[in-house]
Parts: sequence; structure tokens; C-alpha cells
Amino acid sequence: MLRVLQNRREGLFCPAGGFFVDPCGHVSRAVITHAHSDHARKGHGSYLCSDNCKPLLKIRLGPKAKIESLPFGKRIKMGDALVSLHPAGHILGSSQVKIEVSGQIWVVSGDYKPQPDLTCEPFEMIKCHGFVTESTFGLPVYRWLPEDTIYAQINDWWVGNAENGIPSLLFAYSLGKAQRVLAGVDPEIGPIFIHHAVSPFLPIYERSGVDLPKVEKVDLDSEQNYSKGLIVVPPAVQDSSWLKRFTYAERAFASGWMAIRGLRRRRNLGKGFVLSDHADWNGLLQVILGTGAETVKITHGNGHALSRYLFGRGIDASLLNQPVSAEVQ
Amino acid sequence: MELFTKLFHDLDSTTKTNTRLDFLVNYFLKADPNDAIWVCWFLNGNRIKGALKTSELRRFASDCSGLPLWLVEECHENVGDLAETISLLVDGAGNLPPIKGLNAIVKRYIQSLVGMTIDDKRDRLREAWNSLRPKDLLPFHKLLTGGFRMGISSGNLYKALARVGKVEPAFIAQRLSGNWNPDSMSMDDIWKSSSEDSRLCVPFPFCLAYPLQEEPENLGTCKDWQVEWKWDGIRAQLIINSGISMLWSRGDESVGNSFPEIIEASKLIPYDICLDGEIMSWGGDGLGLFSELQQRLGRKNPGLSILQRIPVRFMAYDILAIEGQDLRKEPLFFRRKKLEAVLELLPSKFPLGLSPLIDEKDWFTLSQLREESRQRKVEGFMLKRRNSRYESGRVKGGWYKWKVDPFLADMVLVSAQLGHGKRANLYSDYSFAVWCDGELFTVAKAYSGLSNKEIEQVDGFIRKNISGRFGPVRAVKPELVFEIAFEGVNISNRHKSGVALRFPRIKRWRKDKTPNDASTLDEIRGFAGMKCSDSERDPSSIDKAGNLLLF
Ligand SMILES: [Zn+2]
Ligand SMILES: [Zn+2]
Repeated sequence: MLRVLQNRREGLFCPAGGFFVDPCGHVSRAVITHAHSDHARKGHGSYLCSDNCKPLLKIRLGPKAKIESLPFGKRIKMGDALVSLHPAGHILGSSQVKIEVSGQIWVVSGDYKPQPDLTCEPFEMIKCHGFVTESTFGLPVYRWLPEDTIYAQINDWWVGNAENGIPSLLFAYSLGKAQRVLAGVDPEIGPIFIHHAVSPFLPIYERSGVDLPKVEKVDLDSEQNYSKGLIVVPPAVQDSSWLKRFTYAERAFASGWMAIRGLRRRRNLGKGFVLSDHADWNGLLQVILGTGAETVKITHGNGHALSRYLFGRGIDASLLNQPVSAEVQ
Repeated sequence: MELFTKLFHDLDSTTKTNTRLDFLVNYFLKADPNDAIWVCWFLNGNRIKGALKTSELRRFASDCSGLPLWLVEECHENVGDLAETISLLVDGAGNLPPIKGLNAIVKRYIQSLVGMTIDDKRDRLREAWNSLRPKDLLPFHKLLTGGFRMGISSGNLYKALARVGKVEPAFIAQRLSGNWNPDSMSMDDIWKSSSEDSRLCVPFPFCLAYPLQEEPENLGTCKDWQVEWKWDGIRAQLIINSGISMLWSRGDESVGNSFPEIIEASKLIPYDICLDGEIMSWGGDGLGLFSELQQRLGRKNPGLSILQRIPVRFMAYDILAIEGQDLRKEPLFFRRKKLEAVLELLPSKFPLGLSPLIDEKDWFTLSQLREESRQRKVEGFMLKRRNSRYESGRVKGGWYKWKVDPFLADMVLVSAQLGHGKRANLYSDYSFAVWCDGELFTVAKAYSGLSNKEIEQVDGFIRKNISGRFGPVRAVKPELVFEIAFEGVNISNRHKSGVALRFPRIKRWRKDKTPNDASTLDEIRGFAGMKCSDSERDPSSIDKAGNLLLF
């Protein structure tokens, strides 16, 4: 039996190839699925990611990090392992890592979604023996509507506010979600403003061929007129003094969590738009069953329900949250 | 259903009270009166009882969605709210023609379920899910599970109706209090001017006091204020109309059956009248404890022995109407004179009496007298501005309760449940316990007093330290200690500890303490001057405060 992956303290490790996937701590060789901070961490010796991920990763890690990149689908040899990266459909440049050791194929999905997204490469289904899946939205209460429906909701909300001269403050994570919002809304409605945390990623998206509308950075010292504007802001800014400037604005949040009313109300938001970068329940099932994997390991989020459900359908599914020598074969 | 669905989502889309009020007014202006009356009824705090059990609803959702029952339950636990969970799981397929009108929908899909067999209920609900649009599902399930409140207080409901009908909110409030249902009342009845007297036996909305949160000196001179003891009893209105007497507690419950001596005594009053006051346990040696009164509450037509063992008295402190004349807009000093004139004829040591005034010249003397509250078995003072009107509900500036400081005790968090509303997916309803013979006994349930950040921290601890599951309740490893404030101690036969705290709330998280530092049951009993024998009595029923507890 061959060891393709091990679950170590730092994260998933491929002993045949001598590398970790999305590790914590300090390791010498890290393969990174995408540039979100819970996957791409500072402090590793060298990094490998997809070509489109590289410039985003640079912003995350700083100029000193040693980053190499690969085009999607190109297979390379790392030690005794064959490794290739394939689009995960999560954000720009996000990959699934396909690892083949002596004919055994495992895929580490990172974060993914099979639903279409204007701002990133479409998800690719890969046949494999073992699949490491995320489960951020691993309950059947999460069912996404088509992207267009959500964009229409955002536009309606923005139009309504603009008619009353009230700015529309939309919270969206700065990498991925913010760009997705910008790419889909109707720029004819009014001016679009962004928080400065969103702006460094925009040119990278545009260089990769994503169409984004003209935007302005919010500059609190200047005389910008926000009354008909859409202001895209990362949620981390919520409650900070920056927002005092916009107390009169209508607020909404674009996130898969907004499917749950209680979560929206806890943030004291009138509106939530259910727009997610992750797979919904049906998306998870579609992908997991589509890979044909006999063994499924679940990370990211509460995977209890998903693993029990898959188990009931004859798939050897289990959680991957205890990094104590649980070996994945 | 369309207008109602829109109202629901409109109300849900804003946190601003005034905007909500506007939405409600708009709805009442446009809606079919047969639909609108249901909205009044539901928003007034009513629900259709016995239509469907929670477990049945989850089972049907499982059958209909093809998901296993455990997964539906898991979803419910995560989402927190059943109505929302079911709405997210079933499809509003809309492949049956929709039924128009809230009235028709409530009658066909909710009211008619009462008494149906389980199979008929399942079929009926499947039909509902097939005819409702996706947007209708959440509002429909909220009605079905009885959770349709939408952050509208009854006060705001009255205001909205008053605006539409161009009448006084108090008038609407009186119309909507007491027992009624959409078959016995129409929107016209709510708005129609008050010439007919068929409903005059219902109580007025109670005037409520704010807690005094500043020094009394800030209220100006003592002379402007009427000072009374704050009784530790049951607030009630005594209404006499054409020889019929009724006693209404807050929450519009008619409690006359439980206190026949008060009803009997009221027959000596020769007027049609509405009095506001407090029902007290009142023994031969004066005022009794609330825990005694508790044994009378809810016991309909009590027998002679308990009538003798625990006598009660109605202490009147306000008069709201006399001979059909509404006095609520008259100043308090005027009402007090009327009240005294009416009650002075009654014999002393009678089950019906006048609540005395406290005549002190300055705040300082009063504050010294207030220190005696506990010995006197009262909760402090009521301060009422002499020229104040009798308001509907809580209105700032007129009435204050100047209470004695609460009791405090350190207790251990032993179990938790998911909260409601904004906290629906956080473990934020806690049960607390104290020691007795080396064991922890639950004495209080509390859900208020922590900051949002603390709630999230406690939630995190709970999720990692669950030691047992009983329905929705999670037993938690006893490790966290909290200081709990409470107003008193009740007897409770629902709790192993035999006591239940009154108005418990979390004062602070004692991160500096370990479970061993927590209080004992004897200390808790001692606080309320409760004799050991108190807990051995057999109370036949318990007061609402007792329902706050779990075990
Ligand atoms: Zn991600
Ligand atoms: Zn992630």
C-alpha cells in the first residue's frame, strides 16, 4: 500500500513528493491551492501554485517569498509523485491539487464550487481514488440560486437606495467576493466605490481577462458624493470608525452565510445576498460523487452531516480534523 | 398571500422601528380585512394551538425532501429556527395553483390541521408546499409554528391600527385585549367607535414603570412624586361592570377564579369601575411571601383549607374608569382622590384595600426607609409623578420602580440551549446550578447579561464541552462560573433543587472563579428568608417565573 497523503501537525503531507498542501507552521515545500489567508500562510521555504494564483499570492506573502507557478493541467514530477493543478472554481487561480503516486490518485480540492463564476476558471472534475473535500456549507439548507438571480437582487437593492439618495454599503470579502460582485452588478446604476483593501487585487483580475467596471477608492478626505453609490467594503471593516462615515447608508452582506436569517440579523443587516465562493450542499454531492472517489476526507467546516450522509450512500467518508497520525492512503 | 408575504419580507429587511410601522400601516390600508384580522391576531401574540407538533413538521419535511430525518434535525439545530429550517429544505414548487388570501391559507393549511390524522396532515402540508411560492414559505412556516412576531411590539401594532382607523391607540389596545379570534371580531369591530359596551369588561393596557437608573434627586423635588411600596405580588386590574367582577392579570389572563375572596369583596363597591393594583399574599400578621401567593395562582376554585392557610388581598393603587368615564387622561393626584373616595367605605382587614402612600418630605429619608424593604417583604418603592396620566405600556418620565439591589450569587453553567432571534445559532440560553451535598442543582435559567463577544466565547466553550444531549438541551462540563443577579426565590416542584430564582440574569462572567467557589443551595434559600419547610410543601402549580427553568 502506498502512502499518498498523511495528515500531519502542519497539515496534509505527501511523503513521496516531500511537500505539504496549504500547510501551517514552517515547512520547506508548500503547494498552495489559493491565495485566501486560511490556505496561503507566510513562513514556508518555497511555494508552488497556479499561474493565475501567483500574483495574488505575492500580495499575500510579500516580495521575498519564493513562489513558483504552473499552468493548469501541466503535470510535474516531485520526488516519486506526479503533481498537477486543476481549476477549483473558487476564486481566480484557485486549484485542486492532483497527486499520483504509483497509480493511486488523490485530489486535494482546497475550496471549490462547481457553479459558474464570472471571475474565475470553471471547476474541473477529476476522477480519483481519494478526494479531500471542503464542507463549508455542508448542510442541505444551503442551496444557491443562479448567479444572475443574485446579481438582479443586488441591482434592485442598489437602485432602490439610489432613488432615495441613500448609499448602498455592501460587505464582501476583499479577495474573490468583492471582484465577483463588481463583475456582476450593473455599473449604469451609479458610481462604484471600493475600500482600499479591495483595490490591490483588481489589476490582477483585469490582467487575467476579467471584465471589471470603473471604480473609485473611497477617500474620506475628498468630496466624493456617495448618495447614489455602491460601496464595496470587506466585512472586517464592520464596526470600525471608518464606517461612521456611512451610518446613514443601507447595509448588506454578500456571503453564503446570508442564507441563514439568524446570521444576518446578528450582524444587524437588513439585507443579505446569498452569493458564495463555496459549493452548496448539492454542489458538494455533485462533485464528490462525480470524482468517483471511494475514500473521501472532509475538512473545513462542520463535516459531520456530510460524512454521515455519504457513509449512508456507501462512500468511505470521514473527517480530517484530527491531525494525529491519521493516515490517508 | 402576496401582500402578507411582502409585509413579512419588508419587516424583515429593516431594523428601524419607524420604517416597520410604515410597512404595517401600508399593509392595513391595502389588505383584505379578512386577511388583516389574522395579522392583528398573530401580532397580538396569539397562535393556533395543536395544529402540528415540531416532530411532525420535521418528519414531513424529511418525507417531502427525501432527506433522512437525522439530517433535517441536524439542520434545525444549526439554523436554530424551525420555520426557517423547513423553508430552506422544502421546495415552494408552485406546481399547484396558489390559494389567494391569507385567510384562506390559514384556514386550509393551519387551522384545519387541528384534530386531523397524521396522514391527512402530511397530505395537507404537501399540498401547501406545492401551492406556495418559495417566498411564501418562511412567512407561512412562521405562522404555522407560532413564531410570527417580526419585532412588532403590541404597542406598535396598536399604533399602526390607530393610524389607519384614526382613533386612539389605547382604544385599539382595549379592543384587542382579552380573548378574541378572527371569527369573533372583524377589522370593522376594531376600528368602530366605542358606543357598544359588550367588551367593557376587558382590561386597559397596563401602565408600566421604568427602572430608576439614576439618583432620585435628579427627578426634582420629592413633592412632585407619589411614593408607594413596590409590592411583591401579581399585578392585576379589577373590573366591575353591571354587577359582574373580573380580575385580569397582565398578559390578559382572567384570574378571578383563583381569588374568589377578592371577587366576593368587590361586590361591596357600588360602582362600575376599573381598578389597578396588586394581588398579595396577606396573612393575619401582615404581608406574606410571593412563594406563598404562588401556591394560589393557577389553582382554580381553591378549597377552604388553602383559602384559610394563604389568604390574599387586592391592594388598589389606581383607578382607570368609573361609571363608564375613562379617567386615564386625568392627572394621578385626581385619580388618587377618586380612588380613596371609592375605597374608604370598605371595612379594614378586608380582601380589598387601598395601597398606602408613603409621606416623606425628602429623598434622603426615603432612601433610608428603602433599606427596610426586604424586612417589609416589598421590593422597594414605586415613584409616580403626581400629574402623570395613566399611559398604555411603558412611557418614560411618569412611573419609576426604585427597587432594592438584587441578590447576587456565583453559579456554575451546567447546560445550554440555542437562543432565539439573533442568537438562534448560538448556545445562549444557559442553566446555572449551585452546590448541595457535593452535587450541582440547577436553580436558574438566564439568557441576558453578556456582551456579544462573551456570548460567542461561551458558545465556543459549550460546543467543545458538551457532555450530554436531552432534546434541544446540551449538558455542559461544569467549568464556567457566573455571577447571577436575581430578585427573589420561588418554590418549584419542577426542579430537583426545589427552588426557582425570580428574574435571574447574568451580572458578569467570573473568570477568576472555579466551580468550587460557587454558592450553595442553603445560601440561596437563606437569601429569601425561606424556611426549610417551605420547600417541602406541595405547591399545586407554579407561577410563570417557574417555567423559566428547565429541570
Ligand atoms: Zn478560500
Ligand atoms: Zn478556505
